[in-house]
Amino acid sequence: MDNLNNNKPLVEMKDIHKWFGKVYALRGVDFHVNYNEIVGLVGDNGAGKSTLIKILSGFHTADRGEIYFEGKKVNIRTPKDAKNLGIETVYQEQALAPHVSIARNVFMGREPTKILGFLDRKKMEKDSLETIAKLGLKLRNPDTVVEALSGGQRQGVAIARVLYFKAKLVILDEPTIALSVKESQQVMEFIKQLKEEGISVIFITHNLYHAFQIAERFVVLSHGEKLTDVKREDTNIDDLSLLITSGKKVSEKMSE
Amino acid sequence: MKARESYISLIFSYKASFTLIVFIALILVFSLLSPNHVFVKSDNLGALGKLIPDLGIISMGVGMLMIGGEFDLSVASIIPMSSFIFVKMLEWQFPMPLIPFITILVGIVMGYINGLLVTKVKIPSFIATLGTMMFWRGVLYAASRMMPIGIRAYLEPGTLFEKILVGTIKGGIPVQILWLIFFTLILGFLLHFHKFGNWVFVTGDNRIAARAMGINTDMVKIVCFMIVGFLCSFMSMMQALRIESFAATQGIGYELKAIASSVVGGTSLAGGIGSVPGILLGTLTIQILENGLILLGAPVFGINAFIGAGIIAFAVLNVYIEKWKTV
Repeated sequence: MDNLNNNKPLVEMKDIHKWFGKVYALRGVDFHVNYNEIVGLVGDNGAGKSTLIKILSGFHTADRGEIYFEGKKVNIRTPKDAKNLGIETVYQEQALAPHVSIARNVFMGREPTKILGFLDRKKMEKDSLETIAKLGLKLRNPDTVVEALSGGQRQGVAIARVLYFKAKLVILDEPTIALSVKESQQVMEFIKQLKEEGISVIFITHNLYHAFQIAERFVVLSHGEKLTDVKREDTNIDDLSLLITSGKKVSEKMSE
Repeated sequence: MKARESYISLIFSYKASFTLIVFIALILVFSLLSPNHVFVKSDNLGALGKLIPDLGIISMGVGMLMIGGEFDLSVASIIPMSSFIFVKMLEWQFPMPLIPFITILVGIVMGYINGLLVTKVKIPSFIATLGTMMFWRGVLYAASRMMPIGIRAYLEPGTLFEKILVGTIKGGIPVQILWLIFFTLILGFLLHFHKFGNWVFVTGDNRIAARAMGINTDMVKIVCFMIVGFLCSFMSMMQALRIESFAATQGIGYELKAIASSVVGGTSLAGGIGSVPGILLGTLTIQILENGLILLGAPVFGINAFIGAGIIAFAVLNVYIEKWKTV
């Protein structure tokens, strides 16, 4: 892997603008993620986090601005384009089919087949459990339906999917929102494992306490603009939460 | 020992397990209680062997479509419409080898239209296929003036074509049974062992997730509608040959009976849950219930009342079983 190319970020979004009718959702946002880095993307509701991420994952296209991936300018028009680049998104509860088995969920849409499109069930069962085990999650039966799993385990299944398909950048949209404290901790561990595997992560959350445990850098959005972009060691939870609630530009506040 | 335990729990975790119990109980009850045990006499079994495949073949398609999250009420009209066209082609002396293919094409196209209405025009399938059901039935009644058309004037008995669709094999077993088994196997493998089947399940279970994973859910649904159309046309030929006629009343009630069979067989009305063996079992259960009740002397014209009550009782019991299982 050429992660050594550390000066250049893995992905860089420059001057991104987005309108929804009359709503000016993103007002010239610059955003980047380095190789093997966990970035916390935080901000209040309506700050533009989801819009920014949906542009990166191909669900929306920007009205203005450029995206560079591994140093090259890219056009991401559909979710498939994003996937082909190695950008994978894990949405809250939307990623899994609850009444379908673990193995079938992991390989949803990308099923390994033998002849004539018939499923390679052995491979699906073995590989799905092995990948889930890499995240530190022990599940025994690949035929278990996802509905029977805990919230944390479900996130594990969804994250195992992106790990198996060798994502370079994983976007996690509120992965801990509906989870208990213990399950949230489990999900944090999964995210650490993704980094261990050399994958970069964008972690969108309302919960700064969760973000602070794992993110190495924070980007705060408010009303479609970037308020700050700060390394963890240069900030603390109180400053960040003040920033989010006040919605003021960092330059006005921290006039050094 | 452990393996056996898990097999037993596997069987009971299976949604249609309860149906299997009811099915076996019904067979026992009807065999013992029907006068002179006519239920298990060869005459009755032969009749069942001809009747069950009609509904069974339709239910396979309708059930698979339901797993994919959609309904098709228009089967009630695709069946007589393709039967009409089939018999008309016999009357017009079309080249025999072409007739079955054109008939089946008619069904596939009608299914395709349903699929387009649901996925592209975005009408809920219940409404869209209610519309096409009434539309095609209107067209059919206008075109046929509701008059039956006998086939014997145009097709002498004993042709190879007829033998393939409605003949009998050794021991008087109707060929229709083989066709039912054939479609059960094909659709069973497709749904449970092929990647397309996985797409059907996830499309019905969580369409947003399926689309996010790059599955063309519109294509999946359209193909399911086309499979239903195919099966309707195929069955309509079997039925027309069996009753030796086109009848404008063909297909009436099949739309709901097929849904009932699927649900009794463990298919979820919300999509994402179901199985081909379950749907087969559901069809057998409903058909045997109907047949057995008649043999027991239930009034023929009121038979739907019993079946309706049976379906409701079944659904109620199923709810309790589900609760009991999850405790």
